[in-house]
Amino acid sequence: MSISSLLSIGSRAMTASYAQLTVTGNNIANANTVGYSRQNAELETAFSQQTGSGFFGKGVNVATVTRAHSDFLTREAATTSSIAASDGARSAQLQQMENVFQTGESGLGYSAQLMFNAFVDVANKPQDSSARQTALARVGDLADRFSTASGQLDSLQTGVTDQLRTSVASINSLTTQIANLNRQIANVKGTGHDPNSLLDQRDTAIGNLSQFVQVTTIASADGTVGVFLGGGQKLVLGGDATTLAAVPDAFDPSKLQLGITEGGATRAFPDGFIAGGSVSGLLRFQNHDLADARGLLGQLASAITGQLNNQQALGLDLGTPASAGAPLLSIGAPAVLPSSNNAMAGGVPVASYVNGSGVRVSSVSITTVDGKSLQPSDYELTADPSLPAGQYKLTRLADGTTSTVANGAVVDGFRIDIASPAPAASDRFLLEPVSTSTRNMVRALDDPKGIAAASPVAATTNVANTGTATIASLAAVSPSINPNLTATVTFTDNLGNYNYRLVDTTGALPTVNGSGAFVAGQPIALNGFELRLNGVPKTADSLVVARTAFPASDNGNANALLGLRDAAIVGQQTLAGGGIAPGMNVTDAYASALGTIGVRVQSGKAAADQSTSIASDAKSAVAAKSGVNLDEEAARLIQYQQSYQAAAKMLQIAQSLFDSLLQIGH
Amino acid sequence: MRISTANAYDAGIDALTRRQSDLSDLQAQMTSGKRVSKASDDPAAAARAERALASISRTETSQRAVDASKVVMTQTESSLGTAGDLLQSARELMVSAGNATYKDTDRVSIAAQLKSIRDQLFTVANQSDGAGTYLFGGQGATQKPFVDAPGGVQYAATGGQTRTEAGTNLPLTSDGQASWLSARTGNGVFVASAAPGVANATIDSGIVSDPSALTGADYSLNFTVAGGVTTYAVLKNGLPTAVTAAPYVSGQSIAVDGMTVAVSGAPASGDQFQIAPSTPTLSVFATLDKAITGLQSPGRTGSQIAQANADNLRDVDSVMGNLQTARAAAGAVLNRIDNESSRLDTQKLASTTERSNAEDVDMVHAISDFQNKQSGYDAALKSYAMVQRLSLFQYVNGG
Repeated sequence: MSISSLLSIGSRAMTASYAQLTVTGNNIANANTVGYSRQNAELETAFSQQTGSGFFGKGVNVATVTRAHSDFLTREAATTSSIAASDGARSAQLQQMENVFQTGESGLGYSAQLMFNAFVDVANKPQDSSARQTALARVGDLADRFSTASGQLDSLQTGVTDQLRTSVASINSLTTQIANLNRQIANVKGTGHDPNSLLDQRDTAIGNLSQFVQVTTIASADGTVGVFLGGGQKLVLGGDATTLAAVPDAFDPSKLQLGITEGGATRAFPDGFIAGGSVSGLLRFQNHDLADARGLLGQLASAITGQLNNQQALGLDLGTPASAGAPLLSIGAPAVLPSSNNAMAGGVPVASYVNGSGVRVSSVSITTVDGKSLQPSDYELTADPSLPAGQYKLTRLADGTTSTVANGAVVDGFRIDIASPAPAASDRFLLEPVSTSTRNMVRALDDPKGIAAASPVAATTNVANTGTATIASLAAVSPSINPNLTATVTFTDNLGNYNYRLVDTTGALPTVNGSGAFVAGQPIALNGFELRLNGVPKTADSLVVARTAFPASDNGNANALLGLRDAAIVGQQTLAGGGIAPGMNVTDAYASALGTIGVRVQSGKAAADQSTSIASDAKSAVAAKSGVNLDEEAARLIQYQQSYQAAAKMLQIAQSLFDSLLQIGH
Repeated sequence: MRISTANAYDAGIDALTRRQSDLSDLQAQMTSGKRVSKASDDPAAAARAERALASISRTETSQRAVDASKVVMTQTESSLGTAGDLLQSARELMVSAGNATYKDTDRVSIAAQLKSIRDQLFTVANQSDGAGTYLFGGQGATQKPFVDAPGGVQYAATGGQTRTEAGTNLPLTSDGQASWLSARTGNGVFVASAAPGVANATIDSGIVSDPSALTGADYSLNFTVAGGVTTYAVLKNGLPTAVTAAPYVSGQSIAVDGMTVAVSGAPASGDQFQIAPSTPTLSVFATLDKAITGLQSPGRTGSQIAQANADNLRDVDSVMGNLQTARAAAGAVLNRIDNESSRLDTQKLASTTERSNAEDVDMVHAISDFQNKQSGYDAALKSYAMVQRLSLFQYVNGG
């Protein structure tokens, strides 16, 4: 036992207290540093000295500096924030997309209503060119609205593409950073002390990476951490990082998918491969939400255009001589996008040929045959090798229903034509019957006289009729109508039985006689027209349907064009049993699209709110474990200051003891 | 639990931002008056509002159709009124033309007056609504629907009516063929007329005595005077019937298959009277044209004048009746238009209410919510300020 041991204990205590004060100071300094974990100087009792009077403590040692850290909480925070980033990214995009589906007077539905309604003025005054001009302006307005909406969706796609590119760049920079940190950490592992700031940096980098893609981490014995994507794809292993790439979509190069570059080749991950992170949110938005929105919009545009042009073609315009109406609207043609992975021969896809105009086109093509049966979806056609030759698997992407089709099959209102050379086994094609239609939607008719307001035939009842039957409506329903045929319908009894006679006024066709029965509410259909009657016909009553003599003042077709606003022209479905589920009228179809998008935005927002709140709870839990509380640090400061002062006092006492000893010698 | 100071600040700021944004959302709703400005605010309500809006716009559209019909039908009704008045004057002139003291010259001057009435009627029949639509244009006429043609006035349009869309189904024109050219001939069931050459006898327009006995065949009464005795035979479709030599008494009624006519005067041998089924072919203009021609022909016998006069009055009554019917129909349409307008108003109000219910802010709720949130925000701000003032450093400064 010597005085020097007291001095030694005192100086050790001072060192320890100073170390603690330093660490506390560091904590205070880093209170607002992101990713900083609170540190603590760990003290241990120095090895005791055995004497004859027992074990005497030799003071205190600073063992190491630890950080307050929980792997579990940190991982939890990274995962939850990853999901929150995914939901948040998708929700932000969805809210942008919602602007395309406006409600009320600024919406597409209202614009379509206005367009149909404008034909009422044409019907009221068929020869009034200002009414026709207004109707044409409304048609043009609708086309503009649709193509603007399509442009908005395009710019959303561009935005997503840009974000994906920068995200991939950030991911690659982060994985490189993590790999470097792994290396540095492994290098200092041998010192026996944890490199706290490096560990913090790595945790922060992994947290940042999780914002883009959800990852799993596995720690290894050498202090490095392996980082893997959802499906087990390695991103960082030890000091090596794998490079991710934004790969153009196999079907549509304007879309990007997340992929990987390995051995010089890039490979896209399948849809849904990544569970969380903003990239997953963006991909989900691009691959599903945006595709669905395009489908809904395209379906509406195709149905309106198809039916409007059909009806217009059934009428007569104001030209001299009056002729069948030319199309009012024009839309983009349905598209077929072959996969870039399809079999090639001689540098060109197997399933392609050079057409009459010298352009190489895909063997698979589609044509719209019935606008009102189109569904809001894209389709994938696969040459499934398990099917017999000439049979192909068709998947409706919106709901995943599959069917087997062959050349010439008509599905959901469009026909699939597969020309020779046939697709090779496993070739895939994306069919877009509606998605592209709005892109180039324009008004095709510029001359107000071109509106086909007149019906090609007019019906007159005989003035000598004794029954109460009057003409309720007469509509041309088929392009096969021959206006030169004069139909005379004569009722043969009071029950509605009638004889009819079709006489060709040009004399080219033989006269046709026949008979039928009129049922209240049902039209009399002859020669491509449908005639509806009000009232009850009596024996010998007759009526004549003949070519419209004065197309300029006839409004039959204008009324029919107006009537389209109530007709179920959107989304008629053929059921599995062969039955037909009628479609919706334009208002209902738009209201339903509005509802679909609205619910999606709403649930996207709710999911984002919820996952943000979970992420923020997880973040709080990490902060509670690792964060710096300034009040606590203030208390510690006082505590360690006092320890320091006590240790100094100890030295002072040791010195005075030594002085006392020296004085004995005097 | 340890509170991390930085996290506490962050959380506090987050909470304040959220409350502020809630408050601002609510304020935006109150300012715009709309609870649903985007579909996601309430998808079901947005869809409801969308349908209501479509309904509003379609009632407005229907109202335009109704208004268009109203303009035309009001003018049609008034034109038909004018036509009725003109025909009434024509009738009075015709009655006066029957005056036995009138000479041919008097009748020619009456004919001139009738001619002027006829021209006025022709103008009325070809009246347009001032915007290119002919009131009686039927299913279409680019020119005037009535044209003077050899053989009388023709209808140069298609019969029937141009109508508004199926929802309202109101006429935009009226059928000129039916109202002007299709009155029933004779007494409405049959036409009794004297054959040319009958000089001293007349036949009245007759009555139906037994509707069930009507056959719809053509009859003729052939008179024979033999030895001062006048008899008549009835032929049906040119074939003899049971009546071959019935004795004739002037003014006595002759019954033929449910029809009763009376011949007066002294028919000569070979005189013929015809009874034919009535047809809906009597034209206003043909009636007047016939009367005018008759009045202008000189040297007719008293019987011929009387017969012509009776026929003309019968015909003018028939065409007047037909125009009256058309006028009544126009009146009925106007009535329906009023009903339709008021129905559309009601429907529009209902749709507007529906839209408002679906998407408008309930102000009472909104104000109460706003005040609630406002006090919440206020409390959050105050407590934030108070909590953040607390720091141990403030107390250990002196130490």
